[in-house]
Amino acid sequence: MDAPKVTKESKNKIRVDFERAPLWERIKGKYFSMRFLKGTVYVLFRFILLLGVSFVILYPYISKIADSFKDFYDFQDITVVYISKNPSFQQYATIITENHYFHAMLNTFLISASTALIQTLVCALIGYGLAKFKFRGRGVIFAIVIITMMLPQDLLRLPMQNVFWRFDDTHPIGMFVKWVSGDPDLSIKFGVNSLTGFIPHYILSITGFGFRNGLFIFLLRQFFTGVPDELEESAYMDGCTTFRTFFQIIIPLAIPMLITVFIFSFSWQWTDDFYINTFWLSDFWTSEDSIPLLSSGNFANKVPDSLFSFFGQIHSTKDTGWDAYVGAIGGTTTILIALPLIIAFVFLQGKIVQGIERSGIVG
Amino acid sequence: MAKNKEYTTVAADGTVLVHMAPKKTMKLSLTQRKALAGWLLVLPFVLGLVLVYGPLLFYSIISIFWGIKVEQSGIVYDRTVGFDHIRWAFEGDKYFLEALYNGFMDLLIQVPAIIIFSLFMAIILNQKMRGRAAFRAIFFLPVILSIGIIDSIDTSAALSMNAIAGGIDDGTSAMEGGSSFVSMMDLNMLFENVQIGGSFLSIASELVNSIFDVVSRSGVQMLIFLSGLQSISPAIYESCQIDGASAWETFWKVTLPMISPMILVNSIYTLIDAFTASGNGVISHIFQDIGTEDNPTILKIVDEDGNTIVRHLSANSLSTTEMWIYVLFIAILVVVVALLMKAFVFYQKRD
Repeated sequence: MDAPKVTKESKNKIRVDFERAPLWERIKGKYFSMRFLKGTVYVLFRFILLLGVSFVILYPYISKIADSFKDFYDFQDITVVYISKNPSFQQYATIITENHYFHAMLNTFLISASTALIQTLVCALIGYGLAKFKFRGRGVIFAIVIITMMLPQDLLRLPMQNVFWRFDDTHPIGMFVKWVSGDPDLSIKFGVNSLTGFIPHYILSITGFGFRNGLFIFLLRQFFTGVPDELEESAYMDGCTTFRTFFQIIIPLAIPMLITVFIFSFSWQWTDDFYINTFWLSDFWTSEDSIPLLSSGNFANKVPDSLFSFFGQIHSTKDTGWDAYVGAIGGTTTILIALPLIIAFVFLQGKIVQGIERSGIVG
Repeated sequence: MAKNKEYTTVAADGTVLVHMAPKKTMKLSLTQRKALAGWLLVLPFVLGLVLVYGPLLFYSIISIFWGIKVEQSGIVYDRTVGFDHIRWAFEGDKYFLEALYNGFMDLLIQVPAIIIFSLFMAIILNQKMRGRAAFRAIFFLPVILSIGIIDSIDTSAALSMNAIAGGIDDGTSAMEGGSSFVSMMDLNMLFENVQIGGSFLSIASELVNSIFDVVSRSGVQMLIFLSGLQSISPAIYESCQIDGASAWETFWKVTLPMISPMILVNSIYTLIDAFTASGNGVISHIFQDIGTEDNPTILKIVDEDGNTIVRHLSANSLSTTEMWIYVLFIAILVVVVALLMKAFVFYQKRD
């Protein structure tokens, strides 16, 4: 091959002409090598593997979505597997209207957003305190945080009903409320099985004992431990108080981590049925004036009345396909519960990874 | 308000200067002030511990030794129980030890499976490729969705599905509940010609059937591994390449040691996660099988004179007692795993 020919075109521009290898040679060099073959096989293998595992993960949702468009007769028909013969939005429509979907979603959003905000803030404060300040008893408190992570929540179900049943004279909080109000005959109405049953949620959240709050405190403590002390020291030098330093210096740094914690807290509260069933007993959800939540019995476990009564007249619940149909209605309910979360998740999933990456659990 | 002390000095030229003494503040050293701030920050937690969580734990532990009965008037305690609840758990309960054993065996298979799977997937998801964000999103979906009410609806649907399938397998319902992808039959056929023992076969079929369980429960572990992988400096891999190490060698000599602290964290996380999950076999035994006709909460004690005393115990207290036994069991397991793995964990020295 000739050496490339260089010509000067103008003051600061040159032109290099060289002979390119013929197309066939180039293709041969690029594609007919062992390296290319290995790479392709690997990429293909990886792609198929990821696709397969994704399928395993998504399969329950795919089958639920397929089932959600079926009607009762599709479940009696053995030839129907995924695609309904007479697809309809009937399941969605009845669940949305008769189980008060939007009302339940609004309520769930309010409780989830408020508890998630409280939990994120409180856990951040506690985690910051544990990470950056030396005080007597710090080790003990951190050990207790770890222990709360390890105790299964079911262990505390009965005691929770016991303690939160009524905040009356038998409980320090009840005594405190009475002392503040100065009314000895005050009967405190909040507690288990009343419309104010959210208050136990808030009490647990404010004190950092909500669902998996031990994990949040741990994550945030690890994150704050990784923040260099010099940042705060320079803030103190400039006359910042501890709390101002926290809110103006530390919080902005911790935003990805806080978002991660907020998302976890929000979505776990969104689908929570443990606390709902602990603070409201099942008979509560059958009464008319009980507030629906997405995870409460009067939304999640209810077959819409019209579907039930309509089919109840012509068919018995022992009919073939009935259980499958009820299962499909449950699946449709699940889709409706998960849909807002999935939409939020698609937009925020990058933040979750980012938050964990910077969390410092890494070491 | 008390005036600040004034004191005067006379300057060289005879003018009198009046100085104000500095305001007196609380005399706290910096360390003391920081300690105070730290206490203020964790105050909500301490208050919660004293006012909320402490009483909860107290009621929970006390019900090991006291019988709790919920009556119309409120909660009644039977204080004459002593250690009878613990005795019942080991002697009276027909299924507890069996459930504990099965739970332990499940952990033995599933924890390594989850760790290996999530490490493998994290390594793949850490590579640059097209559609990585989408795959990551799908893989982390179960973290927020396979929990709480969605999980319980699924479980109840799967149960009723199994009830319908009831032996007659028409092929369509095999995957319906999401519980069994491959039937034992298929695996039998697969392994028939391979001369492998039956125990391996049962482990294999259990693994294959619990693949959805494994996949859906490795989300957080994958996140932790991913963050660990991203913290390994690319310079180390570069120097490996320069030294001519193959991908295989690099994995065993660099990636694995560097990620070993994460393996420890993940093993403990998986253990705790598996055992606190509501779908767990032991926990479902504790909440479903106690006080049924088959498994009554009656303890028969033979005293010194040879008389049999029959004691009726409270199902609530018994389930709490068994739960605490389970907690202790898992705590011991966690400590053992942590100690065993500590020997293999490599900590990179930092300066």
